[in-house]
Order: sequence, then C-alpha cells, then structure tokens
Amino acid sequence: MTRSIAANIRGLTLVIALAFLVTSLGVGYWTLVAGNELSTDPYNPRLVAAIRDRPRGFITDAAGTKLAESAQVGNTFKRVYADKTLAHVTGYASFQFGASGIEAAYADSLIGQDPADPLSQWRARYLRERAPPGSVVLGIDPKVQQAAVAALGNRRGAIVALDPRNGMILASASWPQYDASLISDPATEESAWKGVSEHPDRPLINRATQGLYPPGSTFKIITGAAALETGIDPNAKVRVDDPWQADRSWGSYFVRSSSRAHGDYTMADAFRLSENIYFAKIGLQIGGPKLAEYAQRFGIGSATRCDIPAARGQLSSTGQLDRPTLIADTSYGQGQILASPLQMALVAASIGMGGVMPTPHYATEVRDAEGHAIRVIAPGPSGQVIALETARALTTMLVGAVEGPGAFAFAAKIPGVRVAGKTGSAENPSGAPHGWFVGFAPAEAPTVAVAILLENTARGGEDAAPLGGRVMQAALGR
Amino acid sequence: MIALTRRRPELGLLFWVAAVGITGSVAVAAAEAAGFRPQQLVIPVTFVAVAFVLHVFLAARGVRGDQLLLPLAAVLTAIGLVLVQRLASNLLLQQLSWTFIAAGAFAATILIPRDITALSRFKWTWAILGLLLLMSPLLPVVGREVNGARIWIGLGSVNFEPWEVVKILLVVFFAAYLEEFREVLAQTQRRFGPIPVPPVPYLVPIVAMWAIAMVVMVFEKDLGATLLFLGIFLAMLYLATGEAFYTLIGLALLVVGGFVAYQAFGHVAARVDVWLHPFSEEVRFDAGYQLVQGLFALGNGGLFGAGLGNGMPERIPVVWSDFVFDAFAEEVGFAGALALLALYLLFVYRGMLIALRAPTPFLQLLAAGLSFIVALQTLVIVGGNARLIPLTGITLPFVAYGGSSLVTNWMLVALLIRVSDATARVRGTP
Repeated sequence: MTRSIAANIRGLTLVIALAFLVTSLGVGYWTLVAGNELSTDPYNPRLVAAIRDRPRGFITDAAGTKLAESAQVGNTFKRVYADKTLAHVTGYASFQFGASGIEAAYADSLIGQDPADPLSQWRARYLRERAPPGSVVLGIDPKVQQAAVAALGNRRGAIVALDPRNGMILASASWPQYDASLISDPATEESAWKGVSEHPDRPLINRATQGLYPPGSTFKIITGAAALETGIDPNAKVRVDDPWQADRSWGSYFVRSSSRAHGDYTMADAFRLSENIYFAKIGLQIGGPKLAEYAQRFGIGSATRCDIPAARGQLSSTGQLDRPTLIADTSYGQGQILASPLQMALVAASIGMGGVMPTPHYATEVRDAEGHAIRVIAPGPSGQVIALETARALTTMLVGAVEGPGAFAFAAKIPGVRVAGKTGSAENPSGAPHGWFVGFAPAEAPTVAVAILLENTARGGEDAAPLGGRVMQAALGR
Repeated sequence: MIALTRRRPELGLLFWVAAVGITGSVAVAAAEAAGFRPQQLVIPVTFVAVAFVLHVFLAARGVRGDQLLLPLAAVLTAIGLVLVQRLASNLLLQQLSWTFIAAGAFAATILIPRDITALSRFKWTWAILGLLLLMSPLLPVVGREVNGARIWIGLGSVNFEPWEVVKILLVVFFAAYLEEFREVLAQTQRRFGPIPVPPVPYLVPIVAMWAIAMVVMVFEKDLGATLLFLGIFLAMLYLATGEAFYTLIGLALLVVGGFVAYQAFGHVAARVDVWLHPFSEEVRFDAGYQLVQGLFALGNGGLFGAGLGNGMPERIPVVWSDFVFDAFAEEVGFAGALALLALYLLFVYRGMLIALRAPTPFLQLLAAGLSFIVALQTLVIVGGNARLIPLTGITLPFVAYGGSSLVTNWMLVALLIRVSDATARVRGTP
C-alpha cells in the first residue's frame, strides 16, 4: 500500500518548517549574540565610518604626548598625527582607505566601545548612546624613539626596541615613512594614498613588524641554541677551511667564510668572529628537522602575536629543511629563511630572559574619557622556548661577540654596561647585503632588547652594530 | 461584477503591499543625503499599480482559489524594489522593467495553458526543452560567463539564467512522470535484508534526467543550481513514493558527491574553506571577504536594525544579488529578518495547502514541488548568508536583484494559482 501523497506533503512541510526554525536561530545568533564581537572587529567598515562621524580618542606615547587626535571640520572629523616617525605605529584612519596600525587594532577602544567595557558596547548597540571616546597609551618612550629615529636617519630599514621583561615596545622606526595626516584627511586622502601606495620603496609597510629579510648571521643564535640543546659540545674545536662543502655531491656549491678563515673554532669563537662554516657544519650535525623545530620555537614561520599586524616569516619556501645545502645555508641565516626585525628582537629578548619569550605589544593601556584605565594591556610571555642554562651559555657567547677580542659587533659596546649581541650581513637579491644587529643589555638582567636592520648597506652588520649601541644606551638612560 | 467581488480578501491585502512598498521607498530616500523627492514615489507606485492590475486581471478572468499568494509575491517583490533602491539605485529602473515582464509572464501563464492538467501530457517535451535550455550557456555567441560561472545566455544587453526556467520544467516533468509510475516505484516488497530494492528500470529516466542536469551544472560551475536540482529530485521522489529510503540514498549521494567535488574542484573547495574559516587572516581579505562583510552587516542588525538607509550593507560586494538578506537584516534587525522569513514560510505553507487539496496526483506533485523550490532557495541562500552552510549563488526569491529569477518565480506563482483554481472548480468552491 503506497502512502498517500497528502501524507508525504505534510511530512515535507514539517521538514521545511524545521529548517526555517534552524535558519531563524542562525540569523538570531549573528544579529543578537555575535553582534558585539563583530561590531568591534578592527576590519569592520562600520568602525572605520565612525572615523568621519565622531571624534575618536587620543593615542599617546608613554610620556603622555598626544600622537593622534581628532580635528573637527564642519560636521565631520579627521585625524591629525603629531609625529611622522610613528606613522607606522599609529597607522592612519581614512574613511576611504580604512585604518591601519593602532587606529585599526584599537578602533573599538578609540570610539568608546572597548571590549573590556561591555556596558558601553551594549549602550552603543541598543540605545545608540555612545560613551565619550577613550584613549590608548603606547609604551613608546620618546627618548628611545628619538634615538632610534636619529640612528636610522633616512636609510631604508627598521629599528625596534622592546623591554624584554614584558614585551612592551619602547621604540619602533621604519624608513621610508609617510604622512598619516594626509591619508586621514578627506581633502588629501586620494592623492596621498596614490603617492605612497604606488611608491617603489613601499613606505606604507612597517618594516619593523612586517618587513621580511633573510636574518643572516643573527640566526646563528637559534642554530647555537639548537646545538646546545641537542648535546653538541660548544668547547669542541671544529675545523674551518674556506671554502667548504660537505661532499662532492654539492658540485660547485661551497659555504664561504667571511674572513676566508682556516683554523679550529669553538662555538664562542664562531660567535665572536661570525664564522659561517662552523655553523653550517653543526647545522648539518643538528639535522633539518631539529633546526626547523628550533626556528619554530623562536616563532619564525608562525604568527607573531602582537597587537598590530606582524609578519610570520618563513623557514623555507616549503616550510621544511630537507636538503643538506638548504640546512647548511639556513644554519647561518641564508637559504630561504625570512624573519622580521621584531621577530629577531624577540629572539634576542628571550635569550636575555633565560629562555622566556615575551609577547610584544605597542599599547599598554586603554583609558576612558576621564583618564581612568579601563584595560591594562600586559600579555604574559609566550613561553619558555629554550632552557635557562642554554640561554645563559648563549648570553656569555653573545657578550663575547660584542666585547671579546676582535669581536665583529664591538661597535655596540656601551661604557659601564655588559652588552650581548650579534651582527649579521644578509646576502639578498636586491644588492648590497642587509645589515643586522640584535642585542640586549645589561647582559645579566636586560631591560632593553633591540633589532636593527639596514637594507642594502655597504658594510652590512658593521653599519648596524653602532646604531644598536646608541638605541640601547638611550633606553638605559646613559 | 460578481467576479470582481469574489477576490475581495486579495484586494484588501494589496493595500498592505502598497503600504510596505511606499513607506519602504520613502524611508530609504529620506535617509539619503539628497533627501526624499516626490518623483521617487513613481517607482513603488508603479509597481503597486501593476499588482492591482494583476488582481483585477485574475478577478476579471474569474480565477478562483488562493488569494494570499499574489499579495505575498507582491510584497516580497516590493521589498526587493526597496532593497534595490537602497543598494544599487542605478539598477532600479531595470528591476522595475523586469517586474513588468514578470507580470506579463504571470498573466501569460494564467491565460495560455487552457487546461493545467494537460501539461502532464507533454512531459518529454518539457524534459528535452529543459536540457536544451540548461546546455544553452555552453553555446558560443549567446553563452556568457559571469564570475566564473557559465550559466548565462545573453542577447544584446539582456542576460538571462536559463536554469531558472529549467527548475520549473523539471518539476513539471517529475510531477508528470511520477504520477504515472509512482505506484511501481513505491513497490518495495522485494527487499534485500532491511534495504528495499527499487524497481530499477522505472528509475532510469528520472535518474538520467538528474544526472545530465548535474553534469551540465558541473561544467557550468554553479553550485547553487546543482544543489537546487538535487533537492528538487529528492523531494519529488519522496513526495511521490513516501519512501524515506530514496531520500537517504540521495543524501548519501550528496555527501559523497560533495566530498568528491571538494577534492576535485577548486571552486568547491574554496567555498567550503571560506565557510569553515571566514575570519582567518588568509581568507578574510580574499575569498572570504564577501561573507565576512555580510556577517558584519548581520551583526550590526541587533534586534530592530539600524533603520532603512542607516546601515552600511553597501560595503558587501555584489550585495544586491548575493547578500540582500544580510543587507535587509542589518537595517531592520532580527525582528525584520524574522518577518521576512515568516512571509516565505507563509508562501510555502499556502503552496503546500494547495498541493494537499489538489484533485490529481499530478497537480499535487506539481504544487508541492513548486512550493518546495521557493522553500529550498530561501533556505539555501539565507543559510549561506548566515554561514549555516557554504555560500552558493542562488537568489533570494522575488527579493534579490535579477530578471530571470523574478520572471520565473512569478510564473511559479501563476502555476500555483492555476492549480488552486482547478481545485476550486472541481470542488465547486469559490
């Protein structure tokens, strides 16, 4: 006996009604439940529109100087920025081109809807009442920032200095820079945007957090850490004869020593004299997977947790180290590896902190209109990346790399303070090597860690090291 | 005159349609920088006039039966016009012209088939016509590809999506075929353990029809239409036989087919990835941008919405065709979105009621199948807009911008009214 069609119609209608119910619940979820979170997403254009319609809060540096504020033009508002050297940090807030930097990351806080203040969010959503805008305080220390800007001058590159104890960024400079006020002014945004977005030097990029470069010899810190933790004796002498290849299968490919060296090297010697062949040899001994694991532990190739967008970097184009020549090259920071100055500053910071890597952050506090703190931004460390003893041993060798006899990074010395650091000269396809310096001070209990990057500079790391010394000196107040 | 008074309830409801269409249009205009100008009333008033003319036409023809479907379709179309005015005002005149064509198609469908039951006699004609139409976008010259999907035919500046017509032809074909063979198909005395063995030979034509449709859709890369056809196929089989077994097999095929398509076709995998992780950094600025912007719009809706004209749904790419639901929900809130869904559910309910009362299996299957199309299209696109299922390019019936969809959906309404009319005549009710 066949069921009647009428019964089937009733059955299908019931299924349809249930599906409508589920769909309605889904719509209810997005409109009512998820609404608060969505409305404060930094990339929600509704937040950007708020730029034009009402004043936003201040962005100030650690000393309280206003870096960004709103100016009224007729019935609308535009953002004005006091310090061009911090354009990459504050970002811009344009109705047409969206927001970037702190303006984007703290867009909700700046219009009085900080996520830590659900009542104000609720009032904004349902009662259309808005709390007066709050302000965002940065950890940028004007003294250190000025030193970093002066050190960098108008050379393409970046300088970042942070407090390794808590990850607070003290200075952040990137050249070339742009004028965020022009991009945020409706009268000039179009031409200003065209000028900077099409410029071949790509001034919009915050090179400190988003510039990706081969780390060169600064990566030897990570190779050294991996070697110590896989039981390689740092005092064992390793033979270095320039040029070097592991075997004939490398063909015409050789690892070169920058000092055309012939001799026996300990790890401390190799750090002091930045000996590529030493690290290539121990890199092969460590092996690709282990070396890859340590790069990963230090955050290279994985998302950098920072309050403004920061690059991931890469270990290699495939994410693996699977060929002997690639392992050898990566061991001294060449090959296909790429990292940002911020990532390398974090590497230095975690060595200084006994293996604990801090989480970097630009903002330190969100305040309401009366100046009371609504939210303190103090992310905990991202983890213990290497053992305390490993970090101590590396610190000693990195002090040697700055202060030892014939040390490459001697120019980073600061009178009366022990400085640990490492230079790097990174070969790259665009010309002269990029000059690197990463370091921290005082070596025994650091309060500042830096990374300096100079694009295509004649003497590579030797150009970068003195800038590192000057920025750290400013941070130490000497 | 007796004929004219018979459709009083319908006439009364059309005044509500007029109220919704005109206040909506004024509200949108008032929120714009230029403010409201009286000449903007021309558009909603013209459409309302069209709806009244259709009412008078039905009454004058002495059409009996359902009096809710015309006002429901009209109010949805009026909301559609308000949303086109809000989201893509440059397309408004074009959409208004399409409502004229839709009204013409509606009237023609009321007039032309003298006997609605006779449609079943030409079932193979509909099948072949449907397949030809479905393949037409693959032809040179007239075939057009838009956003990666080759589902359009174009003549001059007018583009048309043939599958919109095919969905109706498919329902007519299935209704006719299944009326003839449903008893045989439901024979499940032969069982292989707990699994009933279907009488395979009788399934061949419908499975073949469906398979050809699937293959064509795969080549034309339209996920939404493929899903709709599969849904129609399963629903019609279930309606005719009541055999849940067919539905389960069909759902299994959907899961397997979906998995294979995910592995084999980049465009399917991309849709699924966007659905699963729209907010990941890799997706949100790229393939997931549209969905994320749509969800932002929904999230801004709250309970009562930002008010017509006061949200920012225009930031969603191609909002007027793919994301009208989210745009509507942003400006009228959860309450308004729920009301819109209720209108669709009411439409489907009326359609199913017509099906229940219809005198012959063909008319029952036809009316239920047509109502199911509206239900499934609504669920698939609203579900896609609200990230319940992967997004597909199906349009929200009557509301989304687009001519082919509007014209065929109005033909669908006319067919439902014809079935209702035929029922009333058989039963001798008004």
